[in-house]
Amino acid sequence: MSEFTISRRGLLAGSALLLASTALPTIGFAQTPKKGGRLVLAADSEPRNLNPAIVASNGVFFISSKIVETLAEASFDGKDGLQPRLALSWEGAADGLSVTFRLRDGVKWHDGKPFTAADVAFSALQIWKPLQNLGRTVFKDLEAVDTPDDLTAIFKFAKPTPFQLIRNALPALSSVVPKHLYEVGKIEENPANNAPVGTGPFKFAEYKAGQYYRLTKNDAYWGKDEPYLDEIVYQVLPDRTSAAAALEAEEIQLAAFSAVPLADLDRISKVPGLKVITKGYEGLTYQLVVEINHRRKELADLKVRQAIAHAIDKDFVVKTVFLGYAATATGPVPKNDPQFYTADVPTYPFDVAKANALLDEAGYKRADDGKRFALKLLPAPYFNETKQFGDYLRQALAAIGIDAEIVNNDSAAHIKAVYTDHAFDLAVGPPVFRGDPAISTTILVQSGIPDGVPFSNQGGYKNAELDALIVKASETLDTSARTELYKEFQKKVAADLPLINVAEWSFISVARDRVGNIANNPRWAVSNWADTYLAG
Amino acid sequence: MNWLRHFFRTPEAVAGALILALLAAMALAAPLLFPGDPQAIAGPALLPPFQDWSLPLGTDRLGRDVLAELFHGARTSLAVGLAAAAAALLIGAVVGTLAGFAGGLIDEALMRITDAFQTVPSFLLALAFVSIVGPSLGVVVAAITLGAWTGPARVARAEVLSIRERDYVAGARVIGMHPLEIAFREVLPNALPPVLALSSVIVAAAILTEAALSFLGLGDPNRVTWGGMISEGRTVLRTAPFLSIVPGVALVLTVLGVYLAGEGVVESTAVRRSLS
Amino acid sequence: MTRALRLLRRRLVGSVFVLLIVVIGSFLLLEAAPGDAVDAYIVSTGGDAGMIELLRHRWGLDQSELTRLANYLWALLHFDLGQSVTFSRPIRDIILERLPTTLVLMGSATALSFGLGSALGVYAGARPGSFRDRFLSIGSLALYAVPGFWLGLVLIVVFAVDLRWLPIGGIETIASGKTGFSRATDIAIHLVLPVSALGFIYLALYLRMMRAGMAEAWRQDFVLAARARGLTRRRIVLAHVARNALLPLVTMLGLQSAQMLGGSVVIESVFAVPGLGRLAQEAVAGRDTPLLLGIILVSAILVVIINLLVDLAYAVLDPRVGAGEASA
Repeated sequence: MSEFTISRRGLLAGSALLLASTALPTIGFAQTPKKGGRLVLAADSEPRNLNPAIVASNGVFFISSKIVETLAEASFDGKDGLQPRLALSWEGAADGLSVTFRLRDGVKWHDGKPFTAADVAFSALQIWKPLQNLGRTVFKDLEAVDTPDDLTAIFKFAKPTPFQLIRNALPALSSVVPKHLYEVGKIEENPANNAPVGTGPFKFAEYKAGQYYRLTKNDAYWGKDEPYLDEIVYQVLPDRTSAAAALEAEEIQLAAFSAVPLADLDRISKVPGLKVITKGYEGLTYQLVVEINHRRKELADLKVRQAIAHAIDKDFVVKTVFLGYAATATGPVPKNDPQFYTADVPTYPFDVAKANALLDEAGYKRADDGKRFALKLLPAPYFNETKQFGDYLRQALAAIGIDAEIVNNDSAAHIKAVYTDHAFDLAVGPPVFRGDPAISTTILVQSGIPDGVPFSNQGGYKNAELDALIVKASETLDTSARTELYKEFQKKVAADLPLINVAEWSFISVARDRVGNIANNPRWAVSNWADTYLAG
Repeated sequence: MNWLRHFFRTPEAVAGALILALLAAMALAAPLLFPGDPQAIAGPALLPPFQDWSLPLGTDRLGRDVLAELFHGARTSLAVGLAAAAAALLIGAVVGTLAGFAGGLIDEALMRITDAFQTVPSFLLALAFVSIVGPSLGVVVAAITLGAWTGPARVARAEVLSIRERDYVAGARVIGMHPLEIAFREVLPNALPPVLALSSVIVAAAILTEAALSFLGLGDPNRVTWGGMISEGRTVLRTAPFLSIVPGVALVLTVLGVYLAGEGVVESTAVRRSLS
Repeated sequence: MTRALRLLRRRLVGSVFVLLIVVIGSFLLLEAAPGDAVDAYIVSTGGDAGMIELLRHRWGLDQSELTRLANYLWALLHFDLGQSVTFSRPIRDIILERLPTTLVLMGSATALSFGLGSALGVYAGARPGSFRDRFLSIGSLALYAVPGFWLGLVLIVVFAVDLRWLPIGGIETIASGKTGFSRATDIAIHLVLPVSALGFIYLALYLRMMRAGMAEAWRQDFVLAARARGLTRRRIVLAHVARNALLPLVTMLGLQSAQMLGGSVVIESVFAVPGLGRLAQEAVAGRDTPLLLGIILVSAILVVIINLLVDLAYAVLDPRVGAGEASA
């Protein structure tokens, strides 16, 4: 219990945990790793396509990262925040036109064939670049992959590409799949997409729709003495309240990705035999953002946007909506990012009087009923917290005379309404920060993105200066110069408020005490779990 | 007034009537007792009941006053139930009367459509309809109505079939009344009582359907409903059980009240009929 | 027997029309939905404009609605339910996989509510107006008024978490490798809570119908005659009153069969039962039009068959019922 209150207070005081990306997990008591056993854990959704090379998303990684490995994984203490997986080393040329990977020797695919540089070349050129949701952006200038020998892959780019970006993209975007299984037929229709074959510590065993996914130990895994577990079973529990019950009933041993609702954590942390772990998601930061439709004339006015920013009590949001399991945000890069974050940006402290004054100044006086204008607010339905923040925002806006009507949609309708039809005034979205602003952050404010692209600037915001800065940063090869440009980017975004960053959060795991080696890297829930074990 | 006496003879009916009266009082008093937005944040989050007398039933996840929500929820839950029942009875009575009175192809076509609606689970229909049109109170009412009008339509048709051969209908034909006029002025009013008997079932089902839709995240977020309160409270079922128990008890009492009173009405009218 | 056959033929023709209305109506409803399968899919992945276009093309969503409806109906004529976009598998296989689960769940829940409901109804109706009559009928009503999901959650907390008598959800112990009898027992144990949650809700329906039917029957001549003959009360209740009150309950069984599938949407979600109800909900959320159409069609066929059986049973059991009168 004390563990938990301390960490929670730490988060409240300034998100110590989110910041401390080098902290080592010390939760639980010392146990000696033990071999064998079946780990059963909760899964709340069932991804259909399990190929992480095509679908780079946390829902897919959660399962397939144990089967299909990437070139490198995120690390608390490794160089550049990385630790080797299929690649042993990586090196970028000074001209930004090539990156050389040295690959691990003696690795075998689950079907016994050897893993070689040809697999990396095939995955990169045939899948990451043309088919992968995120790779299509990051690897857009990838021209060729040379394989001088079986253990060397040299990525050649048509245009200079910052090595820093490639490096930061490795943990999420570089899943390698076997060429020999994918080179025949259409890649999208390959049966291995539903029953993946990889090099990872676990093999795909079976999937029973609506019930479970089962993975079994890969005896020929390259890691010495790994993996520890014999089996991993993901039990599908669609209702979020049932994960906590299943943990208490000892039917499952782990619930990751906040499968246990935040409001239940305080109680469950007191249940003997269960532990609440806030670490292991540092590399998977979600941002709570108010998306703004700048086509609305009121919202095109900077003063109105500033007023809205001042009307939001970020501390209240962190404390009440996230129950302390989050940090307040200052701009488009989260506080816990070790490379790019800067606190030196304009801030908007909670100040209702100032917000009201700003709105008066902007010329939107209160009418007789106390209201200035009405707007439509669309909270994204994907998380409880985004919906609850929507409820809060409606109240916060009411306090400054803005009458917000909440429009509740399911996921498909929300995506369509916000990103294709632009039928919103304000929306609440949870974009993901993926370790580098160029992967999925700058497109939130960049102009010129076609209609229908989700999680991008669909609010009609256009700022030539900011656009130029984004382009320049994407071409800057020097790491420190590039980092500086992204600091500038944060300042500009915070000053002009194309969107309002409210908070940043990660997920929480709840596990039985027996589960060992949890949360030992910043992307633990989506890493390979080769060293995870169940103590006797 | 005779049937009122009959009505109040059974203790169940009296209890039902009392519950409904209390409920109506709550709904009417809500804006007076709790003016302003019931969803406004009124205090610290998750305050247990009976701790702070300005917030007698405590607060929910965001610090909203549970008692205020309960009162305002009575308004919406009742409104949903009554509106859906009224719409379902109206549509059902009209369709049933038309089918029963016209007969032939029209009857056949209308009854096959009724069959089609009855074949699809009404909750599934409501679920699909609300996800598609987007949840607002009107849409929820429409969605519930979609699945609820078939019962009244069938009963109305059966009743009309038996009435249309009676003397006064034949008489109306003889004096040259328009068939539609006969259908809606002579036949429908006489076919109505058994149709109305279904209303309590429909009201109760509507309130429950609204709750289940809210459970799946398809309630109107701008209004407080009991179903919405229960479904929000279920995530903290173990930590703060009162959040789902308080509106849950209100819901159970309401459905019970509607049912019992409805049954009282049916029984007392049956007694009246058998007496006359 | 020929009358039963004539009824069967008549009802089958009508059923085809009903199913056609259901399919076309559902298709149009789903087409009106904002957002398509691609919108639903990219929620979890994101992607750029090119990728989205690629997906729409691959899933055939760039064709016009009419073309797709025509294609669907044409395939249906060949008993082909098509391919699910979200599962990328034939819909027939997906539905066949889930159908047994739902049938078992709904069948057991119906048996529970019908069996227990009518038995308690007989018990209550045997002495109309007595304390046990009132207690049972109000108690069952209160159960009916509890939202299914809430009842489910409370059952889980009490019986699975606190007492640990029963599993919290699922249809069987995962990856247990059990077969035959031990597997059947395992499934039965897993079904106790969901069947109770679903069955107890509808208990009130049968209980109250039975009770009302019995109240009616008490007043009938043959009961008076039986009383005059000096038969025991128990004998009268079971042999005359209850038997006569049972027929309308059978009709109700047919009507209720469609509604149970709706109720099971929520129950299957709370108890993580991999049945058709949950699949339907996923199909709506994923905008998987052909899958939802397949589910609706299969459940409609089921309902039609059940009602047909009910009608036939009626026609055979009760010669007074003319063909088509029972539920035309």
